[in-house]
Amino acid sequence: MRWASHPAPAAYAEAIRTDLDGQAMRSWFDTRCVGDVRPGDHAWLPYSGADERDHIVGRFVAAALATREKLVYITDADPDALPGVGADPGAHLASGQLSVLPRAHACLDGYGAFDPARLAATIEREVAAGVAADFRAVRITLDYTPMLREGGLPGLLGCEDEVEHTVAPSTMSMAVCQIDRRACPPADLAALAGTHDLRVEPDALYDDGTLRIVPTFAPRGLRVEGEVDAARHALLGDHLARAVAAGHGVRLDCARLDFLDLAGFNLLIRHAEALRPGEALILDDLPPSVENVIDMVGWHRLPGLRRGRVRVPLDQAGEVLP
Amino acid sequence: MTLTHRAFLYTGREEFLAGTTAFLRDGLERGAAAVAVARPENVAALRAALAEHDGAVEFYDATEFYRHPVRTLKSYLDLVERLAPQRVHAVAEPVWDGHDAERRAEWIRYESLINEVFADTGASALCPYDRRTLPAEVLASTRVTHPVVIDGAERRSPDYVAPRAFGERRERARRVERPPGAEYLPIVSDDLRPLRSFVAARARAGGLPETAVRNLVTAANEVAANALAHGSPPMGAWVWNDDGEINCEIGDNGHWRPDPLTGFVPPKSALDTGFGLWTVRLLVDYVEMRGGWDGTFVRLRICR
Repeated sequence: MRWASHPAPAAYAEAIRTDLDGQAMRSWFDTRCVGDVRPGDHAWLPYSGADERDHIVGRFVAAALATREKLVYITDADPDALPGVGADPGAHLASGQLSVLPRAHACLDGYGAFDPARLAATIEREVAAGVAADFRAVRITLDYTPMLREGGLPGLLGCEDEVEHTVAPSTMSMAVCQIDRRACPPADLAALAGTHDLRVEPDALYDDGTLRIVPTFAPRGLRVEGEVDAARHALLGDHLARAVAAGHGVRLDCARLDFLDLAGFNLLIRHAEALRPGEALILDDLPPSVENVIDMVGWHRLPGLRRGRVRVPLDQAGEVLP
Repeated sequence: MTLTHRAFLYTGREEFLAGTTAFLRDGLERGAAAVAVARPENVAALRAALAEHDGAVEFYDATEFYRHPVRTLKSYLDLVERLAPQRVHAVAEPVWDGHDAERRAEWIRYESLINEVFADTGASALCPYDRRTLPAEVLASTRVTHPVVIDGAERRSPDYVAPRAFGERRERARRVERPPGAEYLPIVSDDLRPLRSFVAARARAGGLPETAVRNLVTAANEVAANALAHGSPPMGAWVWNDDGEINCEIGDNGHWRPDPLTGFVPPKSALDTGFGLWTVRLLVDYVEMRGGWDGTFVRLRICR
């Protein structure tokens, strides 16, 4: 219900939310909003689609280019097509603030095979060059999915260790390692999670310390955290309207929803009405406190709302893959 | 399709069975759905007496069914809707044991509300009252809450009072002062987070289990939001512990007077007006409303 009485919000303070008891409900030091990634972070981004990847990587890239930070993007894609670089990346390329390195130069050996040592050397060289050019920090991002396909997991894990050793102690560099979770078996995902301190997630669309709204991509929808009451209906309504307008099958992740006032049901139903015929606003992971109210009034009094995934108790949630 | 709502006063098992089995058989012959909600010993006797209709009658244990008047109204309505388009013929025997005067009065009001909630369902309810065991007050109330009473003979009750008038009478009847030790929190903005914390902390300190704490917080938040929307300042909430029963009263200086039936009739959906107050009534044990010269006060009471 309440937030822990946190000290002054330090730039990278870790969010620990508490439930009504004032007990720590869950700490997610293992995830960080992309806007809060800081030097020394070696984060990974398991994505489920290009829109999710571009949304998050785009923020990571744009944040570097908007300040005096260097951005190293290891990719074979055309610089113009990269997320977050803006309409004309030419000036950033010319100034050295944006460094787009083809994979063959950055991390493959002479035979085109993935070479972890070469990647580590590339990162060290780029960071040193960034420092020499007086950049405030150096951000590195690359997509490991092709390497996983080509070289398999062991090479990738070795490489991640190297990156970890390069980035983690650094006061200058930070890395976001992208991986397409659809191309990665669950056991490999778990192994990769183990080589990163952090998982990066989208920035909140809204956060006033009581209510937090975060976009979700797989499934598409919103994660509503904290408390919904009359003072926050208009805000939640705006984001619901946008989510409903953006496409079908909107889901609300309610796992961290602590309170939903009764008029909040009215709000959800009214937005569900804007969905296509036959579609519903699906409520995933309802907490017992909200589900108890729904069971009491009956789902049939909540037209357009449907129970989704059943909640995993929080003490087990840690064992579930991100 | 109007409701038939009759009280049936009986003495002894024989008279009980004669009246109720004839009623249920008549319902089955007319193609109605037969339902019997009665105390366990009466359910057992009815089952045996209606053995030849095995499977055609739905039986419910009244001690489970009659726990909370507003929830019971909802359960009956859900049942009537589930069985539609069949009409329902129900033996509906409330449980009167172990109630204090106040709870008894709430159940008497419940009997009155039946006339409103099921007015257009075509249902037929026969409510058995045991002359030997029930208090005189309960037996006398049947004439006020049932349009027709079978007491030996069946006749229209001249004392019957329509539910709305009954409800007004009931709300006027009570007025209990807040104890001097009640804690107070002024409501000064439309952000009700401080109110929720205030209520939750005191409910929890008073020993309420977590589900009851959450229910009270949701109910108090709804009443306060309603006061913010329709009342006038100053507004605030008092909380006190009355021997294990947590009381939360929200007051404002306005004169919004809810209709005495508001919040008793189950709404069709959460979009209907009245959904909020109805859910508040479901969530807590008692809701009392009082409008006076000094404002409007809604008291929520909930115990373990």
